[in-house]
Amino acid sequence: MTGNIFQSKSWSPYAAGIVIGLLQIPAFLLIETALGASSSYVTIGALLSGIWDGDLSGNSYLLKHAATTGKNWWQVALVLGIALGAFISMRLSGARRKAISPIWARTLGTSRPAARYALAFGAGFLMLFGARIADGCTSGHGLSGVAQLSIGSTVAVAAMFAGGIATALLVLRRI
Amino acid sequence: MSVFSAILIGILMGTVFGFALEKSRVFEPGMIVGQMQLRNFIMLKVFLTAVAVGALVLAVMTSMGWASLHPKGALYVADVIGGLILGAGIALAGACPGTVLAQIGAGYRDALFVLAGGIAGATFYGYLDPVLAPLLKTLDAGKITFADSFGLPYWFLAVLLAVLIGVVLFILEKVSPWRVEMGADVDGDLAP
Repeated sequence: MTGNIFQSKSWSPYAAGIVIGLLQIPAFLLIETALGASSSYVTIGALLSGIWDGDLSGNSYLLKHAATTGKNWWQVALVLGIALGAFISMRLSGARRKAISPIWARTLGTSRPAARYALAFGAGFLMLFGARIADGCTSGHGLSGVAQLSIGSTVAVAAMFAGGIATALLVLRRI
Repeated sequence: MSVFSAILIGILMGTVFGFALEKSRVFEPGMIVGQMQLRNFIMLKVFLTAVAVGALVLAVMTSMGWASLHPKGALYVADVIGGLILGAGIALAGACPGTVLAQIGAGYRDALFVLAGGIAGATFYGYLDPVLAPLLKTLDAGKITFADSFGLPYWFLAVLLAVLIGVVLFILEKVSPWRVEMGADVDGDLAP
């Protein structure tokens, strides 16, 4: 580990958690909303669907997320910023990652990239399909909902961990 | 606020968010799968710390009248079914909807497929919303919080939650120190 904290490869989970928790301040004060990530997928999906489905079939859910509002586009910008922030952090520390994490070859029992890519697509599909049913993900229900003591969010987070633990123990091999 | 300012603020906040996610290594597939296999607790540590800090800042901001809470509605059937599917997706993706972007930033190529699948899944839900919402988004208990149901002030329960989390994390750190959980290549891979 060399240099300052920006160049270090890892921070304590508590330091990172404090920074993430403090982000609720600008979210509530400036955008009047809580941290969240999964709605932005609908905004982008609706935008892309608009290419061949101009009026989004009159679907009010898609139209609501595709609307040019500050909240919709703030969240799209937030998730794009996550990629940028991680990229900057990685460049500063030099912790560049391989194309596929070495854990996948062991946990899936195959090192074929095509197998991992196919599973990754399916996993992403499940993840956001579930998040949109639950109306939130690890950020919206997890970080924000539990901090607000929302009962629905607490139930959703318990279900997320139950689904994740069951899948990781039953479907995936031990890493 | 204009959409332009909202986007600017979003990019700034996201950059800080992504920076912290990358430094904590919680975005690593090894951390997420390790957490779900109950052998690595970095995810829980980052998550609970952020929840505790979020609860404390919200306790202050709501008490001072600077902000009001925006809890989501309690839709128990949708919360449970959606949560279970989302959790299965998180384990197989080795990422959450937010952290997959950090994976892309850090160079994981399979994360691009998770992202594409995510956009497809979210859009698929959107088109099915008119059919699924009446089936799943039932048992609507409204935007209730534990503060409402216990009849206690939000700030009091928020501080209590933060203290409880502090105790849990103190014990967790004693049982499983974070420096050990990082692994040799700070990716949560603890293989010999």
